[in-house]
Amino acid sequence: MAEASLSLTGLRIQAGSRVLVEEATLRLQAGRMLALVGESGSGKTLTARACLGLLELRPGVVGGSLEVQVGARTLRPFEGAPRERERSWAELRGAILGWIPQEARGSLDPLRTVGAQLERVLRLPGGGQGGPPGDVGHWLRRAGLAEAAHVAGMFPHELSGGMARRVCIALALARGSRFIVADEPTTGLDPTVQAEILDALGALRAQGCGLLLITHDLRIVPALADEVALMHAGRLVETLPAARLAELRSEAGQRLLAATRPVAGGLW
Amino acid sequence: MKRWGALPLALLLLAWGIGRASGYDPVADVDVGQLDLGPSAGHLLGTDPLGRDVGMRLLLGVSAFFEPAVIASALALALALPFGALSGMSRGLLPLLVSQLWTALASIPRLVLVLLACAAYGSDATVLGAAAGVSSVPALSQAIATRIGQLRARDYILATRAHGVSRSRTLLYHLLWLGCRGLIGRQLLETFAFVLVLETSLSYLGGFGVAEPRPSWGNMLAFAVSRGSENRWALLAPALATWGLLISLIAASSAWKERGDG
Repeated sequence: MAEASLSLTGLRIQAGSRVLVEEATLRLQAGRMLALVGESGSGKTLTARACLGLLELRPGVVGGSLEVQVGARTLRPFEGAPRERERSWAELRGAILGWIPQEARGSLDPLRTVGAQLERVLRLPGGGQGGPPGDVGHWLRRAGLAEAAHVAGMFPHELSGGMARRVCIALALARGSRFIVADEPTTGLDPTVQAEILDALGALRAQGCGLLLITHDLRIVPALADEVALMHAGRLVETLPAARLAELRSEAGQRLLAATRPVAGGLW
Repeated sequence: MKRWGALPLALLLLAWGIGRASGYDPVADVDVGQLDLGPSAGHLLGTDPLGRDVGMRLLLGVSAFFEPAVIASALALALALPFGALSGMSRGLLPLLVSQLWTALASIPRLVLVLLACAAYGSDATVLGAAAGVSSVPALSQAIATRIGQLRARDYILATRAHGVSRSRTLLYHLLWLGCRGLIGRQLLETFAFVLVLETSLSYLGGFGVAEPRPSWGNMLAFAVSRGSENRWALLAPALATWGLLISLIAASSAWKERGDG
């Protein structure tokens, strides 16, 4: 796979006069995983959505710059005339930037079966690379859903939380994005399923995908991520190698660590 | 059960086609030798006080409301789709103006609107259909706008965008087709039922609507009542047909409601 990198510089998001995210600067490379941690409401999800172009990008609402480099191609979707920006986003969305949303079941179309939605993604430009053409089951099995044929015929409301999450991962796998933003992928799942989901994300990274993992659960960070960035009240406070997570120094970091330790037990 | 939703419309289309293709002439059918006969093999529903075949007139009467209803549905759809989608997708000045216009239009009772149009432009099928169609636009347009407004912020629509589906395809396929088709089908069936009741009442009362000798379920009923027909089917057939069709349209509309759209 060609070299790829994503850098977000000085992101600023405003709602009216309230600044929600300020000076957020992140750098992500293909085959690496960056964990973006922080309490609820610290601006993690907003930052992720800005990277995916899912916020209304009006001047004065979202500022800063995003640079995505894939091979020789460089895209700057925050810059230029609206038409130019939209063209950059059209090239980035899906094919280069993927999303595993926080609310897994809600992010699946309630009116169509899992199989129909996967097929749709396979038909998008760049979708389904590296798999047998048109085979929905292949991607479901790769996301850890053994009974692929059965799951493909199900509607989202029939899926359990863990299954819905896996379907979202299958969609991201089938889409073949170079970078994937995974928003709280383990929230609300029991530890066994959590571990399996994290394995699936690890597999994505191993095949050269760059991952931005958003979580408030520090326990899953050291085993999985390469780097960790801490957000607090809309600001990026600290960035550390994930192995040195325990050295978080800021007040917000200390608080998160303190909240995590008692239950951490064997995980780190 | 849900599959039966389209049945009344299919039967109507069939009846309309047969009535059209039969080449029945309502004037030539007058036969003073066969007044007020009961049902027989030659006249399945008997004859009316002018000796005309009740069954044939019932079939031919379908076109009196079917044609305006089709015009009304097409016009309502053509106007409500773009305006509904526009007000659902954006929050600018234009959608606000459009929605105020529809509110103003909706404040005029539908029957009054249709009667005004008929008084001004005559009461043929086109005018009746156009007026009924325009009077259905506010409700349909607002319903589409509301539905799109609810859906477009939903996670699965965002996820669709994040997968790289273009804005226009998201709107046309994911929002309008998958998200609104049940709602639109329901509203159009209701427009259909409205035109049925409207046309039947107008031609029953006379003045507006279809006039003799052309048959309509309304004027058949009025004719049988005023002449005191001895063949009770001349009275019952149009009444039962109107009632039955109205019930089936309403049933079809609620069958559509069950199709998993929330």
